[in-house]
Amino acid sequence: MNPKLIAIIKREYLQQIRTKAFWISTFLIPSIGLGMVFLQVAMSKTLVAKGKIGVVDLSGRLYDGLVAEYNKPTKDSTEKEKQPRLTQEKQKPPLATRMEFFKIEATKESLPGLRKKLNDDVQKEQIKAYIVLDENILENGVAEWRAQSVKADLVLRETVANLLSRVATKERLKDRGVDPEIYEKARMRIEIDPHEAKEVETESSKNAGFNLAVSGVFFFLIYISIFVYGAFIMRGVLEEKNNRIVEVLVSSVKPVHLMLGKIIGIGFVGLTQYAVWGVLASFMSLPAFAAMMGMADGVPSIPFLTIAAFVVFFLLGYFLYAALYAAVAAPFNTEQEAQQFVMVPAMILILASTTWFFAFNTPNGAVAVTLSFFPLTSPLLMFMRISVQPPPFWQIGVSIVLLLLAIWGMAWLAGRIYRVGILMYGKKPTVPEIFRWIREAD
Amino acid sequence: MEAAISLSGVTKTFGKFTAVSSLELTVPKGLTFGLLGPNGAGKTTTIRMIMNITKPDSGSIRVLGQEMNEELQQRIGYLPEERGLYRKMKVVDQLLFLAEIKGVDRDTAMRRLGPWLDSMDLRPWINKKTEELSKGMQQKVQFLGTIVHDPEILILDEPFSGLDPINVILIKDFLSEFKKQGKTIVFSTHVMEYAEKLCDRIALLYRSKKLLDGTVREIKNLYRDRVPLPPPVEPEPELEKIFIKAVEESGLTAPSPEELR
Repeated sequence: MNPKLIAIIKREYLQQIRTKAFWISTFLIPSIGLGMVFLQVAMSKTLVAKGKIGVVDLSGRLYDGLVAEYNKPTKDSTEKEKQPRLTQEKQKPPLATRMEFFKIEATKESLPGLRKKLNDDVQKEQIKAYIVLDENILENGVAEWRAQSVKADLVLRETVANLLSRVATKERLKDRGVDPEIYEKARMRIEIDPHEAKEVETESSKNAGFNLAVSGVFFFLIYISIFVYGAFIMRGVLEEKNNRIVEVLVSSVKPVHLMLGKIIGIGFVGLTQYAVWGVLASFMSLPAFAAMMGMADGVPSIPFLTIAAFVVFFLLGYFLYAALYAAVAAPFNTEQEAQQFVMVPAMILILASTTWFFAFNTPNGAVAVTLSFFPLTSPLLMFMRISVQPPPFWQIGVSIVLLLLAIWGMAWLAGRIYRVGILMYGKKPTVPEIFRWIREAD
Repeated sequence: MEAAISLSGVTKTFGKFTAVSSLELTVPKGLTFGLLGPNGAGKTTTIRMIMNITKPDSGSIRVLGQEMNEELQQRIGYLPEERGLYRKMKVVDQLLFLAEIKGVDRDTAMRRLGPWLDSMDLRPWINKKTEELSKGMQQKVQFLGTIVHDPEILILDEPFSGLDPINVILIKDFLSEFKKQGKTIVFSTHVMEYAEKLCDRIALLYRSKKLLDGTVREIKNLYRDRVPLPPPVEPEPELEKIFIKAVEESGLTAPSPEELR
């Protein structure tokens, strides 16, 4: 390779790597991601429904059942071993509850007299709430809830309502001569357990949930990286113009080499960031860490195809957009001036990022296939298709070839704009002027 | 005399604006050549075309007997009018980078820079970021970056504009040293005084066309009868020399980084 180009790449890379912003973003982005995971785990473990709840059961039908239903071992803890892995993963963790029900002896006549004391207990927070089940509760289906606020404790109320509903159902069935055990058995839900239609399933199908999450994260990474590094390119181009060093540089190197060097250098910065994240991620897959995140069986490994597709499509997408950003920045003097034109690649990118749904839901549908061929959206869409359901190889090939052609075309166009633009100071150029540069730059 | 640079029939237009029109120009080897003219005369465009930064619409440009190419770029030192440095880069990294893109390896560049860094009092600053340097210091670094690859031809576009007086002297001294080594210098200026003092030959551009071309002596003879002579001047010391003397006599040395912090 041209030694001057190497010098440009090296400078660009080292300068970026030495900035605080690089290291801050390198550690901040995964920290935020991890923080969110931990927050989720922590939230699922915190008590969402707790408190002492008094029950006035005027019907005399529900209290015992309620206590029994609440203390019944959950399905999760009893059936865990029997259940297939997949269903288990798809189930939401059971909500942590710590409720305490106690019976308030009362009759319809004595209740009004009792209310003052009960309300007091609620206001003094000796009890969380009390609940009144009238004689006709099984028919009218409404229980009175008395607490400090009618807005708070949404989950608690919902939990209690669910418990009561189940007990009431059993009672109603009992009235009609049905054994409550039959109800328990009858109400079991049917889960879908997805498998690949193959003699031997691929490893990845066993961790479908995890793999989808990984694909989502990678999709997001491609998207955000192109955004961030595109902005780096733009700022770098403007910086060289503002510093007035650019003319010194183009007296030594070809403008197109200067542009390429910048794009490749910053591309390496991106790969470095990914490498750091890869190392961090491999630490996180250690058993201790996995346990902390609530994955008792350890973190499953990511399929090779997903990683390969990620690297290839990140690089191709990055090069395409980087050239676009360089072209868009070159004619201008300040970020403000460039802003309205920078909106163009940014909007295309945002639109592309919203199309993940097509790849997710109907990976071989016409929309997903078309978008995974179109170069501005294909880096994101083709990656997603590959990780959801690998398309035929010819489609991947077409996508890559079209991207390479688009990169070549974009680099040619950007090179022409760049070549003229970097020497233009002062007045902000108009669009027709920029088109004239493209025609005349030789 | 062998030509370092020769332009023939060179024209360049930008849209409807003609920047340079059918320019014929020869810069002989080993001389100091002044490209004169007011702003907008076409000096910068001419220089950019010589440097292969802008392509002419028509005409041919030869440098050291060849069409301009990348290898030739390495034999020319160029200081553009719009000049600057990377603000966040260390001085030494900056100079080595500028050397590298001129095809000089880091070791050779460092060896060459050594004496200059000392004579320009830049040594204590080499590990500082460029933005920490004073304007004058930055100008020295910029100039060093222009000559770090030991060029055969030096092309300077308005080299003295914005320079502090010490650096003007520094660069003038350097130019005469450079010339003694038999190297070619082309510089543009609109300050006639510099042209008169430093140049062997000059060309005057105006509105994209060349009006005059020749040695300073030739041109003066040509206009002797048509331009009024200045009144005789009582010889007096030049302000520049006074400035140097005053600095010398003060017994003070150039400030160190610590003092300026």
